[in-house]
Amino acid sequence: MAREITGQINDGHLERDLCMLSLKSLSGLVLTAAFAAFASVASAQTVRVNYIPITDVTPMFVAIDKGYFAAEGLTIVPTPSTGGAAGVPGLMAGAFDVMYGNVVSTMLAQQQGFKLEIIAAGTKQYDNPANTNGIVARAGDPIKTGKDLEGKTVAVNTRNGIIWLFARAWIAKSGGDPSKVTFKEVPFPQMLDALRGKQIDAAFMVNPFFNAAVTDASAFQFVAAPYREVQPDVEVGHYISTQDYFAKNKETMAKYVRAFRKGVQWYNANLRDPDLVHIISGFTKMQPELVAKLDLQRLPEVVNLGSVATTVKLMKDNGLITGDIDLAAMTDPDALK
Amino acid sequence: MSFAASLTSAELTAKASVRRRLFGELARTRLSGVILIVMLLVLWEVSAARGWIISDNWPRFSAVLAAAYHGLRSGELGEILGSTLYRMLAGYAAGCALGVLFGLLLGSNCFLDWTIRPLIEIQRTLPSPAIIPPLILFLGVDDTLKIFIIMLAVFPPVFVNTYGGVRGLDETLLLTAGTFGLSRFDTLRKIVLPATLPAMTAGMRIALSLALIMAVIGEMISGTSGVGNYLMSMQYAMRADSMYAAVICLAAAGYLLNRIFLVLERAVLHWHHSMRMS
Repeated sequence: MAREITGQINDGHLERDLCMLSLKSLSGLVLTAAFAAFASVASAQTVRVNYIPITDVTPMFVAIDKGYFAAEGLTIVPTPSTGGAAGVPGLMAGAFDVMYGNVVSTMLAQQQGFKLEIIAAGTKQYDNPANTNGIVARAGDPIKTGKDLEGKTVAVNTRNGIIWLFARAWIAKSGGDPSKVTFKEVPFPQMLDALRGKQIDAAFMVNPFFNAAVTDASAFQFVAAPYREVQPDVEVGHYISTQDYFAKNKETMAKYVRAFRKGVQWYNANLRDPDLVHIISGFTKMQPELVAKLDLQRLPEVVNLGSVATTVKLMKDNGLITGDIDLAAMTDPDALK
Repeated sequence: MSFAASLTSAELTAKASVRRRLFGELARTRLSGVILIVMLLVLWEVSAARGWIISDNWPRFSAVLAAAYHGLRSGELGEILGSTLYRMLAGYAAGCALGVLFGLLLGSNCFLDWTIRPLIEIQRTLPSPAIIPPLILFLGVDDTLKIFIIMLAVFPPVFVNTYGGVRGLDETLLLTAGTFGLSRFDTLRKIVLPATLPAMTAGMRIALSLALIMAVIGEMISGTSGVGNYLMSMQYAMRADSMYAAVICLAAAGYLLNRIFLVLERAVLHWHHSMRMS
């Protein structure tokens, strides 16, 4: 085809030469592009990351959006799981390489013999005037302390989860007996309705539902922020992989953590940036107007094992785990500094 | 008729007779079903607009329609439905094929029946969502898992109906086949298959809605595509209107699939229906 075209142009050498030249350069360009694509496929590593679509995981999407992962030669495939059943089993099955998990689930899995590695810090509750989660009750109900919740029903997203643990711990700390409180599993999106419908008396909520509740003073009242009141600076979530994957992909993980940390830094420095609203709206599917209303918390760059140890002790006190967990052995030293 | 005529000739007002005629017309059409649905939707709209029900999960129906319009226009809903239907049909086809195969084999061979059926009977009682966590360990969380659990749900009704069809076969038919010296394969093709086809398709029709349900449940666990995933993310994003829009599209797709199935069934089983008519 190309020959036919060049053959037809006989009336001017210049024209033919130009045409030949362009054809040559075109084929050269195509070849270069093909090689470049091949090279990039060969060098780019893909990391599949499982996450729950909450604002806590924003730094990862910042790092994707700002090209920090790409600069390290990494391609990130984010897979959301809202149902929660996938989590650690999916990680063990190799369905994804890295996941965002809350500290209680991670430690429970570790205790059960799944060999997990903490590779990066996720969420921490810094001392902050604005709350992003907490226990909410109906407006007008006399619920102020854990003692007031005795004989009442409190909604948590999952039993034996981090929300459940800290709800219990807060009740105990504020003078109540958690064993006299009925805990009901209610998914976060249905907690507001369950409160309105009086199927529950209080609920431990997270954003955006927490924000919707506390901004509606005619119907709801804020009761407490259990994370902060039970364990200041608690590390709620981490990014984990299996120890096996981590050992086999040390270099990739180092790149991943480096790029991710840049994402955290950008996020902390630009909490009020309109770009952030756009990024959060993109992966949570929340409308930008709703995202703009949410209070965003600073997120940690490094893991603090002392804080994790405190949570592990809390788990033991509540009968969630029995043995000891070697935290240092399951944490990437690079995540600590 | 004569009774109605005598009534009109009596001293009933013209208004009443008009009303009667109207309702009479209505009773003869299928319009009443449509009217009931429309009335419920109006009730939905009014209950949300008037604040009879206050909830972020109870948007106005008009907002749902608007969300459906935008979703369909942008192609988002089409893409989501497409990926759900793809997985659903893949799992459905696999489940039907296995159901028919095992139904025919176990229905016609005692040894296989005694060996395999206890296992199938146990599997049949297991609700698919209950065995998802262990399945994730072996199949991951991608399409393989989702198609597999659809297949697991589709298999039992198709198997049970096919098996029942083969078992309930008229003995005389088989004896006649033997008399005519038909080979095993020909007996299967000319006698067993046509005779069990009505039972088989009955099972497949039940399985059709199960397949759609399991497709959505599977997508709720994990993943980035499909109606199930969309329903979950819209709930967590507090976008109930978009969630219901997807539900309505899913219902429409389910209705259409059932219609298509009926048309195909009628085409395949025309001889059966015509026989029953006579």
